[in-house]
Amino acid sequence: MKFNRTLLLLVILSIGCLQPTGSAWAQDLVAPDRIGRSDAPKSFTFRVLTAHSNNNAQPKFAAGMAELYEKYARNHPDWRVRIQLMSLQIPQEHARLLEQARNGTAPDCTSMDSFAVPLFIHQGLLKPIEQYFTKEEVEELFAFVRPIVSDTEGHIYAWWWTTDLRLLFRNTAHVPDPPDTWQRTKEAALAAKRTTPGLDGLLFNGGRNETTMVDFLPNFWAQGGKLVDEKGTPVFGKEPNRAYLLNAIAYYQDLIKSGAAPARVASITDYSDLTASAIAGSTAMMISGDWVIGQMQAAMTPDAFAKWEISMLPGPTAEQRSTASGGWTFVSFSKDPEKVKACMDLVREVYMGPAVEVLQLLPTRQSEFDSMPMFRSEIYQRIKQYLKKSQARPGFPIYTAISNRLQIAISSTLSGSHTAEAAVDEAMEQVAKVVPKP
Amino acid sequence: MKMALQRRHSGKDRKSPGAARSALRFNQGDHPFWWLCPVTIVLAVFYVYPVLEVLRTSFTDATLLDASYRYTLGSYRSILLDPALLQILEATFVFVAGSVIGQTTLGLLISLALQAGLKRRLFGVRAVRVTVLATWVVPGVASAITWQLLLSEADFGFFNAMLKFASLPPVPWLSAPWMAIWSATVANIWYGTALSVILLYAGLQTISPTLYEAAAVDGATAIQTFWHITLPGLRPTLLITVIIVSVLSLNTFEIVMPLTGGGPGRSTEVLALAAYNMVFYDFNLAQGSVLAVLMLLINLAVATTFWLLFRGSR
Repeated sequence: MKFNRTLLLLVILSIGCLQPTGSAWAQDLVAPDRIGRSDAPKSFTFRVLTAHSNNNAQPKFAAGMAELYEKYARNHPDWRVRIQLMSLQIPQEHARLLEQARNGTAPDCTSMDSFAVPLFIHQGLLKPIEQYFTKEEVEELFAFVRPIVSDTEGHIYAWWWTTDLRLLFRNTAHVPDPPDTWQRTKEAALAAKRTTPGLDGLLFNGGRNETTMVDFLPNFWAQGGKLVDEKGTPVFGKEPNRAYLLNAIAYYQDLIKSGAAPARVASITDYSDLTASAIAGSTAMMISGDWVIGQMQAAMTPDAFAKWEISMLPGPTAEQRSTASGGWTFVSFSKDPEKVKACMDLVREVYMGPAVEVLQLLPTRQSEFDSMPMFRSEIYQRIKQYLKKSQARPGFPIYTAISNRLQIAISSTLSGSHTAEAAVDEAMEQVAKVVPKP
Repeated sequence: MKMALQRRHSGKDRKSPGAARSALRFNQGDHPFWWLCPVTIVLAVFYVYPVLEVLRTSFTDATLLDASYRYTLGSYRSILLDPALLQILEATFVFVAGSVIGQTTLGLLISLALQAGLKRRLFGVRAVRVTVLATWVVPGVASAITWQLLLSEADFGFFNAMLKFASLPPVPWLSAPWMAIWSATVANIWYGTALSVILLYAGLQTISPTLYEAAAVDGATAIQTFWHITLPGLRPTLLITVIIVSVLSLNTFEIVMPLTGGGPGRSTEVLALAAYNMVFYDFNLAQGSVLAVLMLLINLAVATTFWLLFRGSR
């Protein structure tokens, strides 16, 4: 008995001694602030959104990213990647990056919100990176991607590796068929409210936040509206764009006045509010992003989740429809070609495909929907088709100012403090004041 | 002891080493420059220089989009002639005035209650004190998110759920412009009251208990005691409290930003938030600096006004 105990102890100790060897090797290659061996001869700085790294709050995603990083580290033993985490204070982070890039202190390799890329291209702070990607890879990108990350000569300055998509979510128990027009959406919402008292017909972001703009813009784009012209000059206040903008705001107003959407949408700025209502079963429809599918699936019973369906956002007519996409890119600020290549190797080997699957995000290349098992499902194939019609926010630095002023216009109109005409005209006047110096 | 001091000042035995050390101490006390030097440098580098830099930037047309700039009064003209400024100042006034009145009044009531509770050795007073102070520990953003959940107009919103429970109609806490600014103010009052309690409770401890005993002997009522002893005794602390609360409320946007983002429309866009939007959304450093200078001037005006008012009533 005593012998057995000693043997058991020896076995446990042996396992204990052997086990750390493998994990120590892994730990040695990947740490919260590092990829690669700490004594590697070459290094570069890598600023990345926390959620897109091995520091992700969800252990499953963090472990998946660590595994991808480890693979990169094994393939590039000479490199030590110094991780810097980017906060969710996106405007501050990009303002800081802008200042750092001007001073030559920006990270060698960094995440960048897709809609901020044009600002850095126009400032001449980025260098072309197309030589690190094949022609086929570039051509596979969805149509909305290239205009944002390219200059007028077609050079690519950032690799847009993940995207998202605005969709109409509906509970089929309340709204069996997907409404394709604004009018049918209102009718469907009102019908759902009639049959189920206390239910909200349709929820969307209508408060002061960028989320409101991304949800709202497809209604403007669907009519052919343009916020800026080819040179980046704001034109949303000129006809016919002004009329398109007023039509889109009138659609939102009509939803509230008719009761199809509750008045509180004027204060909603966060998708989690909408998701909470969907999970609680208190709304028939909502305008939200693709990432919500996973959240809903995790929080709902299979039966309840099965009732939810997605469809393309409705438009003024069934033929005039659009949707919006955002997403994240990687750029390099390094002047050292070796570091730029190392950065792009990291993007290619970790983020261009594998990371979207690990983090359950949408890829930006059409072929990735067919090559990766996760995206072969019917729902993702439908999303792939919608992405072909999707649009991105304009690739000009003035966009952030336009967005801020239009958020005020939409929010003040929905809350009833301004008429749509006055709010849009005021927004145009305000934006005219902040147009960059010639 | 007295003799030793006299000897030190007489300078008779300066030649001995001990006397030399004493002389050095004497000289240091006589020349405060070296003592003040470190704090002066810290203040100059971290406080005065940024203020001067903001002031300088406000007289330019600098933006984050362009490294070049020129000196101009255009940024002041643009901000001061902007019709939106009036809305921003209106929202700021309601927010700051409401916060100062609410935080000071509540702070005074709570500190008086705490003092009375301690005097009577009531059970749980210490727990109440810790609970009140705990709100001060909560970060502003976290308290804003908590208030967002409380004020949410969805079914899970606490206040509307309570109203529904009482068969009362829901209130548009954050979606109606006239209501949203008050909701933000109430959230800020909740967040900032703890600081008022700390200051005023400390102030109450400085009032001599003999005054209260004399008042009791004279048969003064509670209101008379409060009016003629507590309030005059608290006046210096009240002045400090009111100034600190005003400055903090004027400069804060950590409550408003997550709670309403400045909306609906501009109904909750206070000065600090407007300055943030100007810099980080419009990339306009100069106009953001003009708003910062405006905040500085208002802060100085408010502090001076309160100081004059309290000094006059002394």
